[in-house]
Amino acid sequence: MKKHLKEIGKIISSLELNSQSQIRGLLYNFLRMNLKHSKIDNYIGDYPTFIEPVYLEDNVKIGDDVLLGPNVYLGKNVEISDYVEITNSIVFDNVVVGENIKMDNCIIGKNSLLHCKNTPIDNCVVVGNVKTKEDLYKIMYKFK
Amino acid sequence: MSEEEKKEVQRIKELESINLAREDIRDLVIETKKEVEKDNDLLAEQINDRLNNYGIKSIDIVGAIGAGKTAILEKIAEKLSKKYKIFVICGDITTRVDANRIEKHNVTTVQINTGRECALNAYHIHQVLKNQDLSKYNLIFIENVGNLICPSDFKLGTDKRLTVVSITEGEWVIEKHPMLFKMSDIAVINKIDLLERLGTDVEKMIKDAKRFNPDIRVITTSAKDGKNIDKLIEALEL
Repeated sequence: MKKHLKEIGKIISSLELNSQSQIRGLLYNFLRMNLKHSKIDNYIGDYPTFIEPVYLEDNVKIGDDVLLGPNVYLGKNVEISDYVEITNSIVFDNVVVGENIKMDNCIIGKNSLLHCKNTPIDNCVVVGNVKTKEDLYKIMYKFK
Repeated sequence: MSEEEKKEVQRIKELESINLAREDIRDLVIETKKEVEKDNDLLAEQINDRLNNYGIKSIDIVGAIGAGKTAILEKIAEKLSKKYKIFVICGDITTRVDANRIEKHNVTTVQINTGRECALNAYHIHQVLKNQDLSKYNLIFIENVGNLICPSDFKLGTDKRLTVVSITEGEWVIEKHPMLFKMSDIAVINKIDLLERLGTDVEKMIKDAKRFNPDIRVITTSAKDGKNIDKLIEALEL
């Protein structure tokens, strides 16, 4: 798993215009190969809904009314705000996901802060810090 | 809708009672509740259409905690896993205990931990199914969270609904939960092997189920010794 994450982390840190199919393939393969079972026994929060497989690294914080899964990987120290829904996605270490973000088929790069509320995002890579929906749409890299 | 109103609606939804809404937002709360119910039913219809297109038979199982839903499912899986390619969705507040038990009988399982929610809804099922290769299966069971109240609010898009109660819950259990029996095709009264010791009035239970739903088929079973499991399978048309 670590090896695959490292590879994906490296690719999303220097995205090229024609990387779409490569990213899509990497995300798909990572989720199918590495998330055969859930690991949800160690998080801070108040009973979210999990549809397996969901894999949580250490010290993940989860808000109220959150739905995670299927096929979700959350890295170390990730913070998920209230009313968030995530499916088929990789969220790298130290990311903050703002309130009521609905995410499907996404990769969120290390240390990104998504403070934009009430935003649906799908089929994209996001690396960086954003405060508004408009900012987010400016920096996101769509791969479908 | 202002932020404050949104919060108020959310609070009311959580409390699940329109009676608690302030007069000035009562309309809004009722509309929101109707919309949510309509969306669930619509999604349930889409799920059923999709399963039918794949030629998949589908059954959801509801019942109180400890009534024997998982044990019955284990017995059914034991008998049918050669005839059917079975997929089971298990709902529980937490843990994967039930999914692990059922998985031993050569079927594929997915566990949904609902956390603070007291029942599965159509959206949960939709999320699972859209991420599965449905051509691999021809029979799906959905085992709901152990609960005789909340599951009646949410259709899941299955062909049949099976409600399981046991004689250890007392002869009033059906009388006290009419809604689920109105919505079910089959009622199972389980743990019949304990009848001599407990002396529960099973005839009353059968009569109550028939009173609420004249079309319901009632079957007494013992998941422990397998009594009438074949009869149940026949009633499920499997």
